[in-house]
Amino acid sequence: MMEKTMNQKGNGVLARLFNRNEVGTLLPLLLLCVIVGSVNKDFFAAGNLADMLRTTSFSFLIAAPLTCLMITGGIDMSIGAVTSLGGVICASSMVNYGAPIWVAILMAMVAGAIVGIIKALMVVKAKLPGFIITLGLMYVVNGAILIYTQGLPITGFDKAFKVLGQGHVFGIIYWTIIVSILVGVAFQILLSTTKFGRSLHAVGGNEETAKLAGINVDRTRFIMNIVVSVFAALCGVFMASRFNSAQPSIGSGSELTIMAAVIIGGTSMLGGTGTVTGTFLGCLLMAIINNGLIMMHVTSFWTSFIFGTILIISLFIDKYRRSKNAVS
Amino acid sequence: MSQTVLEMRKVSKRFPGVLALHNVNIELRKGEILGVCGENGAGKTTLMKILSGSYKHGEYDGDILIDGKEVIFNSVSDAQAYGIEMVYQEMNMMLDASVSENLFVGKLPGKGVFVNSKELHSRSKELLRRAKLDINPKMTVRPLNSGQMQLLSLMRACAKNPKIFVLDEPTSALTDQEVDTLMEILEELRASGVSCIYISHKLEELYRICNRVVVMRDGEVISCRDIGDVEEQLLIEEMVGRKVETLYPKQHHATGEEVMRVENLSVPHPNIKGKNIVENISFSLHKGEILGIGGLVGAGRSEILGALFGQFTKGVKMALYVKGKKVSVASPKDAIGSGFGFVTEERKANGIISILSVRENMSLASLRNLPRRFFIDKKVERQRTQGVFDRLAVKAPSLETKLRTLSGGNQQKVVIGKWLLNNPDILLVDEPTKGIDVGAKAEIYKLMGDITSRGASIIMVSSDMPELIHMSDRCIVISNGKITGEFMGIEITDSAVMKAAIK
Repeated sequence: MMEKTMNQKGNGVLARLFNRNEVGTLLPLLLLCVIVGSVNKDFFAAGNLADMLRTTSFSFLIAAPLTCLMITGGIDMSIGAVTSLGGVICASSMVNYGAPIWVAILMAMVAGAIVGIIKALMVVKAKLPGFIITLGLMYVVNGAILIYTQGLPITGFDKAFKVLGQGHVFGIIYWTIIVSILVGVAFQILLSTTKFGRSLHAVGGNEETAKLAGINVDRTRFIMNIVVSVFAALCGVFMASRFNSAQPSIGSGSELTIMAAVIIGGTSMLGGTGTVTGTFLGCLLMAIINNGLIMMHVTSFWTSFIFGTILIISLFIDKYRRSKNAVS
Repeated sequence: MSQTVLEMRKVSKRFPGVLALHNVNIELRKGEILGVCGENGAGKTTLMKILSGSYKHGEYDGDILIDGKEVIFNSVSDAQAYGIEMVYQEMNMMLDASVSENLFVGKLPGKGVFVNSKELHSRSKELLRRAKLDINPKMTVRPLNSGQMQLLSLMRACAKNPKIFVLDEPTSALTDQEVDTLMEILEELRASGVSCIYISHKLEELYRICNRVVVMRDGEVISCRDIGDVEEQLLIEEMVGRKVETLYPKQHHATGEEVMRVENLSVPHPNIKGKNIVENISFSLHKGEILGIGGLVGAGRSEILGALFGQFTKGVKMALYVKGKKVSVASPKDAIGSGFGFVTEERKANGIISILSVRENMSLASLRNLPRRFFIDKKVERQRTQGVFDRLAVKAPSLETKLRTLSGGNQQKVVIGKWLLNNPDILLVDEPTKGIDVGAKAEIYKLMGDITSRGASIIMVSSDMPELIHMSDRCIVISNGKITGEFMGIEITDSAVMKAAIK
């Protein structure tokens, strides 16, 4: 009846490392690298690796706070739309209103925060179902963007703006990678060492128990919802910089792949468990699949098929993991 | 002599760790209303679940005979085919369907796939007339009150023309008038030859409508007599009589100093709109005292604790004084700040977080007492939780063990430990040893004695009579929303508490 704790399976550092949940994502990832690399050596070229990391960083920027939200049992289908919104608001501020770059970025984040607050009011305060409400919000925000931009991208940024999404240090390390890693580390520290992080786990593990222990459940979920939207908007800013234009539908479709990355990384949709480290691996895995398919000269039609398969498999793995640890 | 329409012979049922029914023999005659009474946990509901087919043949020992012939139920519909209909306490209405659809669910009149609306309507109207329910059969059920829904569930069963009716606490949501209507319907059924098993703790109802009455206790049938042959006092004694066990600490540390007082506490009923489950009650708690709260399930005892702790706030009215100062409790956080702790009745539902470790569970309510504002000082956290872990002798490999792997008793210890880390002045406990084996029970009782010896006080809700009697310094009993009895020390007896509980 007693679970074999991680400590009991083997005492060495190596053994402990192998028992972490992230290993479940790391191994397939390494395997994929080997497979793709053996078909096309260019996979390992510095430029290609840098590109993959940059792709990873865009989704990771949102996936890191999203992990925290999903740990509370929350969900957000509007992140893609808010990404587009962030890019459009930032671009419009600069191009249509002549705002300096940092103000434009701030405006984008404020827009994200506003959407986050509306979302939180509906899902947390009014206790409406999260999936449907954020789905509806996604349509509303996407629609608003299309109305505002008339479907046209916004271009004509300052040269300086390019640095965000395209600038790099030491030749290959893009700024977006650095920023997203810093963000990721911050959220992982939040999750594993702070009182707020503990309350995230508690709310996701058993909301009633958390409430009775004196944790302000509503406030915790409220805050997390806003934070996710702010970072989604910020990601939109980086994307606008990377592509030198703010596309009205740049984020469309990304909500599903980002959520898939978080789940593949080991976060359960039921809440209570998950790490940002695992999410990073999940995002990396998605980027490798994307890139790998190109490297292996497989048409991009295969992308959805493979993403979907991996997502379904990861849910089975999650279920297996949970049942392995459960008491009969 | 009236013929026997139903017999349950030598019925026994075992659950892991407990024998719910032992050698139960029940005999029901044609045109009879047989009352069944007993305390919480006596086995009444388990017995009825066997009769109704909820527990199928093979899941229990013993036989069921209908009209003298042995029958085998593999499902509820098998039992229904023999004319057995249950009316449970939970009403199970389809809230957004119409009254007539609910009345005839599964048996809508009509040919093939079509529903004969005219017949549905007229038959519904007839049933509603019998129940004296002045409602339109076409309206949805959602806006009806609990009393109406309970009568509807009764008529739903009537619509199937059963031979054997089983009613489980049928009047819990009914007004006096509705109770009269129920009694009339039962009289009609009896006159037409239908037999009925009437489970209720309301002895006056048993005396009003039953022919005979069966008393159950600890999974056994204690007696079966004609209702006219037995006095109420004897029934109570039989429901309650039990061997005294010696697992209680001798210590009592109550002082005269008042540590908490609540006045005019009213708590809204969780299921019945517009009604209060507890109405305008007041009581106090003394330092070092264990105050027991007795009463039947559903009397509102857990709601009292929930209101004190800020678990329920909507519609709650109370004036709460802790150590002489008035405090307002708008949330559990306020209650914790005022010195309360709350060990709830269902630890799985709201006492533990099973996917987190022992350490994380234990420190959950005292995170703000850890040093540093945002970060958790893991070293201090480990020290403090280890201290409580050792004090409570929690049986687990380590602090990092996930709580779901612990036994019920040890999980309960972790829950208590969670609150002890706050050093509460007032610990609220709801069924402290529910679902816990005897060994762990003794440890928890010892712990409660230890807690009070250090000056804290405990308010304990318990349905376990020996526990209530032996652990309480003082005991109040709740019935029908009021305090119907208060007993001190040796005054706390089975019969005194039971009598007050059914007032």
